[in-house]
Amino acid sequence: MANNLGLTVKPITGISPEEEARIAAWIDSPEYREKNFARQALVVNPVHACQPLGAELCAHGFEGTLPFVHGSQGCASYYRSTLNRHFREPAAAVCSAMTEDGAVFGGQANLHEGLENAYALYKPKMISIFTSCMPEIIGDDLTAFLKNARAKGVIPQDFPLPFANTPSFNGTHVTGYDAMLLAILQTLTAGKRVEDRCTGKLNFIAGFDTNTGNYREYKRIFEAFRIPYTFLADISESFDSPLDGTYRPYPGGTPLDEAADAVNGKATLTVGPHATQKTFAWVKDSFAGKHASLPMPMGVARTDAFMLKLAELSGHPVPESIKAERGRAVDAMTDAHQYMHGKKFAVYGDPDLLLGYVSLLLEMGATPHHILVSKGSKKLEKELQALLDASPYGKGAKIYLNKDLWHLRSLLVTDRVDGVLGDTHGKFAARDARVPLFRFGFPIFDRVNRHRFPIVGYAGVVHMVTEICNKLIELRDDTDDDRHFEMMR
Amino acid sequence: MSSTVKKVEGITRESTQEMIDRALEAYPEKGKKKRAPHLAPNDPSACSSCVKSNRKTVPGVMSARGCAYAGAKGVVWGPIRDMVHVSHGPVGCGWYSWGTRRNLMSGKNGVSSFGMQFTSDFQEKDIVYGGDKKLAVLLREAKELFPLAKGISVLSECPVGLIGDDINAVAKNMSRELDLPVIPCNCEGFRGVSQSLGHHISNDTIRDYIIETREFTEPATPYDVALIGDYNIGGDVWSVKPLLEECGLNVKATWTGDGEMERIAATHQVKLNIIHCYRSMNYMCKVMEEKYGIPWIELNFFGPTKIKQSLRKLAERFDDTIREKVEAVIARYDPVCQAVVDEYRPRLEGKKVMLYVGGLRPRHTVGAYEDLGMVVVGSGYEFAHGDDYERTSPEMPDATVIYDDASEHELEKFVEELKPDLVGSGIKEKYVFQKMGLPFRQMHSWDYSGPYHAYDGFPVFARDIDMAVNSPTWKLVKSPF
Amino acid sequence: MRQIAIYGKGGIGKSTTTQNTVAGLASLGKKVMIVGCDPKADSTRLILHAKAQATVMDLVRERGTVEDLEIADVMKTGYGEVKCVESGGPEPGVGCAGRGVITAINFLEENGAYTPDLDFVFYDVLGDVVCGGFAMPIRENKAEEIYIVVSGEMMAMYAANNIARGILKYAATGRVRLAGLICNSRNTDREAELIEALAKRLGTQMIHFVPRDNQVQRAELRRMTVIEYSAQHKQADEYRQLARKIADNKMLVVPKPLQMEELEELLMEYGIIADEDEAVVGVAEAACPA
Repeated sequence: MANNLGLTVKPITGISPEEEARIAAWIDSPEYREKNFARQALVVNPVHACQPLGAELCAHGFEGTLPFVHGSQGCASYYRSTLNRHFREPAAAVCSAMTEDGAVFGGQANLHEGLENAYALYKPKMISIFTSCMPEIIGDDLTAFLKNARAKGVIPQDFPLPFANTPSFNGTHVTGYDAMLLAILQTLTAGKRVEDRCTGKLNFIAGFDTNTGNYREYKRIFEAFRIPYTFLADISESFDSPLDGTYRPYPGGTPLDEAADAVNGKATLTVGPHATQKTFAWVKDSFAGKHASLPMPMGVARTDAFMLKLAELSGHPVPESIKAERGRAVDAMTDAHQYMHGKKFAVYGDPDLLLGYVSLLLEMGATPHHILVSKGSKKLEKELQALLDASPYGKGAKIYLNKDLWHLRSLLVTDRVDGVLGDTHGKFAARDARVPLFRFGFPIFDRVNRHRFPIVGYAGVVHMVTEICNKLIELRDDTDDDRHFEMMR
Repeated sequence: MSSTVKKVEGITRESTQEMIDRALEAYPEKGKKKRAPHLAPNDPSACSSCVKSNRKTVPGVMSARGCAYAGAKGVVWGPIRDMVHVSHGPVGCGWYSWGTRRNLMSGKNGVSSFGMQFTSDFQEKDIVYGGDKKLAVLLREAKELFPLAKGISVLSECPVGLIGDDINAVAKNMSRELDLPVIPCNCEGFRGVSQSLGHHISNDTIRDYIIETREFTEPATPYDVALIGDYNIGGDVWSVKPLLEECGLNVKATWTGDGEMERIAATHQVKLNIIHCYRSMNYMCKVMEEKYGIPWIELNFFGPTKIKQSLRKLAERFDDTIREKVEAVIARYDPVCQAVVDEYRPRLEGKKVMLYVGGLRPRHTVGAYEDLGMVVVGSGYEFAHGDDYERTSPEMPDATVIYDDASEHELEKFVEELKPDLVGSGIKEKYVFQKMGLPFRQMHSWDYSGPYHAYDGFPVFARDIDMAVNSPTWKLVKSPF
Repeated sequence: MRQIAIYGKGGIGKSTTTQNTVAGLASLGKKVMIVGCDPKADSTRLILHAKAQATVMDLVRERGTVEDLEIADVMKTGYGEVKCVESGGPEPGVGCAGRGVITAINFLEENGAYTPDLDFVFYDVLGDVVCGGFAMPIRENKAEEIYIVVSGEMMAMYAANNIARGILKYAATGRVRLAGLICNSRNTDREAELIEALAKRLGTQMIHFVPRDNQVQRAELRRMTVIEYSAQHKQADEYRQLARKIADNKMLVVPKPLQMEELEELLMEYGIIADEDEAVVGVAEAACPA
């Protein structure tokens, strides 16, 4: 007897406990690690998601903006639910819901119908369009489609409709964020540059950052400096809105006129050099004032650089309150150092975040032993290596470019560390290796309110060091035998 | 199942239709025309679907629907624990559906069960040159690194179909080379109108590649059954399976919650298929009925009333030994359930619920809410067909609103007018209603709780509903200043 | 910078015509870049004297991602300082060649290949517009002038008319215009007149009639353009003339594609096809009365 695969009918074999135990031991072995690292085609548990997710996050950062996915309906639901789960907040976004006929005849009809409905139902001030796979493969021409939409009267002539091509088969969610931010800024600032006009404001770009606490921390710092600012793509209210009995589809975001006037800003600063590469390159050519790109301010040195840059750009000295904050952060670090010094960590995540983790760990005298990134450039590798080379605690640390969390698992079980800095997706690998996982990245699906606590600035240093050290101490309390279980730690 | 037509005070055909009309006012003409047939007051006497369903999603309205891939990967294939499920195409689809459905699994992760994210992570070059060669390499690697996997499914994402890759040919060759079932499933997200086509395609794939390729080693008995359409959300299967066993039945296979490929492949040998989620698995039940003469029975394991009815209906298919055991089981659990009802009903009596889910829950859970004294005032599905609405109509009170593929705008409007005490829907809806100060439970994922099925599930369900409706946090929503 | 796309039926001699014309422009002192948009990648071999240039997609495949590529890896300079790039792509029947064109052009844009010193960019595009990807060269801010290479053969003219239809669609939203037909002669009857007539109906011009000459093949055997191989030959002169006409061309129109019946009438008028005899349709040779 055979079925249409030509396979004969076989008795059920099952998996014996011995076999399971044998393989369970094997996948923890150095031999398996070697095989695992020889993988060419199969990706298992990747760290990165696809471009449109980042594009949607960015779109939510503007006032009254409705993110619009041009592509299959399922794509839109995936991005929305991912953001819902991480922030535990609503994420209003629509889709052109292309189907088989769209694949053959192109997506214009769906796009137009979608714009018309979305405009009528959700009354946005801007619709930010980004693409998923289908229109990218069939080659939909959005410039032409949107022109036609205006010509047909589907959307008013002057209604802002930025669009970004965000194919899921290159880049990552971070790239998509960059592409959408660039498109939005290009659309909003078109024709707004006025010679000799200066808003007197600092334009601030955070890049793909899903920690609303970070946004509030940046704002707090600007206010301490008394720097007027425009946050370009401000998701803090959008994804951390008050519960007061009213649902607001657009609870926050950068005001559109303010974003448009950013082109006449006093200065523009990005702290996502990897996450906003294209946007920043364009800003340098197009925006008035000074331009600066700094690493994400994580750890003391990077936060110091951030404060000095703010002082330089604003012409104000670093405020006393911030100086005191720095001192308190350093105090918190020295109080905590004995629990982290000499410890080894594995870190994984998006490029800018990764650089921040590594800096902070080195400052604490800990070693970022395994540094893993899903999609990383040679430039990132060089920057990471330079950080490691500059510290005695960087010795022995290794960088793994374009690797996934199944690789990380092999690393964790064969070359042990004391903790992992990452996100929810690493929980299986960390559990298998019986190492604590610290969720500072994205996404965080299995802990509440994490995204409300900053990891940038001096406050971020205190928060991260406290989290890490207390967990390590708690582990001792949980595992010490009775004789060593004591009052003091 | 319900013989009497239920009514809700203040809800009439006219009031519901007016509410629908008001919700439709905001639409442009074309959108209104398309959406109107999908919204209607319930008419239990008509015994037919009162709304249009399984139509293309209207662009731009904010639908909650997923896609065929979601139906295939998330629903049907993903829960089969001993297979490697490859999301073939770009990285996103597999990433977003990784671990989010909460179909729990036995076995050891990465060793004997594989609730992980396997993907070919298509790059630009794979789109341009095609991904068939990469797929072959990937399959070899999967077999080498995960030797205990009983098979590999290849679930195609949009690009695979658009560029015309032939995954079926690759699967066929690699099955032979690896001496392992490699199952190609052409479930590109742009096919069909919702998850539903993905279920159907996956059922057909099981029919074409899996069923009847294995045989049970233990001797057959007259009590051999399969549990179909239970996905073990929060451990549902682990509640239903022991219950069926307590009733004297042998559950030979579970489809596909905590499922094993080999046992699914041998299901053609069972005597009866018990189906819970009709929408996603009716196709294979019908195939097995036609091809192997296996009858199927549709049951409902939510809440004591429906469980009791279901078990008795089930017992009728068997001899006296089973009938006696079923009565003993009912007698044993009745007081347990009564205690649960006694505890929670006083706090939930008369509370209104609105549901908007998928699969079977918009109708199957109605009885469980009623067991707790609650009344369901609106219900609808993301991806149902006419036969689902036919089954829903008698469960719902007369004239309550029924919505198919509801947009967020419509749900908001209905909630504003009906003012329910609880909304049961999905993650995308959850925070919309919670911001309004409305208690909410995710009814796809059991909101990170569960099980909700069968006797073990009911106390959990009752506790969760009570917790949602009566959490003191809701009282803090209105600020005193 | 003027950006020009050359379309035409497969096998009509687009690549040969493009490269000879580009060589002609180069000999007039113009700075030109050719972007081959055909997975066959034969749009630059005569300029580079190469069998096949390493294509953008080949290198993407080899190195993994587009991000790993440098412009110098894919851009070669050949005769007359002409810059050459091939998009590349799959064998027929697999993958998505159209996406290859999109990928390659995006790469060139993002990496500054369109330098301001260029006078012309030529896109040599696969046979017919078959999907969105092959229309990439005529999207907004890309090629605004299109030349269709055609001959007096029936299928070539059908294809030309189809391409005009595609241009019409894009012309509605963008600045893309039909700039003329280039007749690459096949020595069919009354060829020049016929193409002139077709051009007129389409609302454009036959910008040049390139006579058939074996010197082209002789040059190709040496992987050269006629201009470079035998600059004094009369065929070289033809291409220089074409180059000059293109350089001076101001006639950019929104085409008026013909209905099928109109095209057939035109072909009948010139005796390319005979009036349909319903009696012979579907009748096999053996079944015909002698």
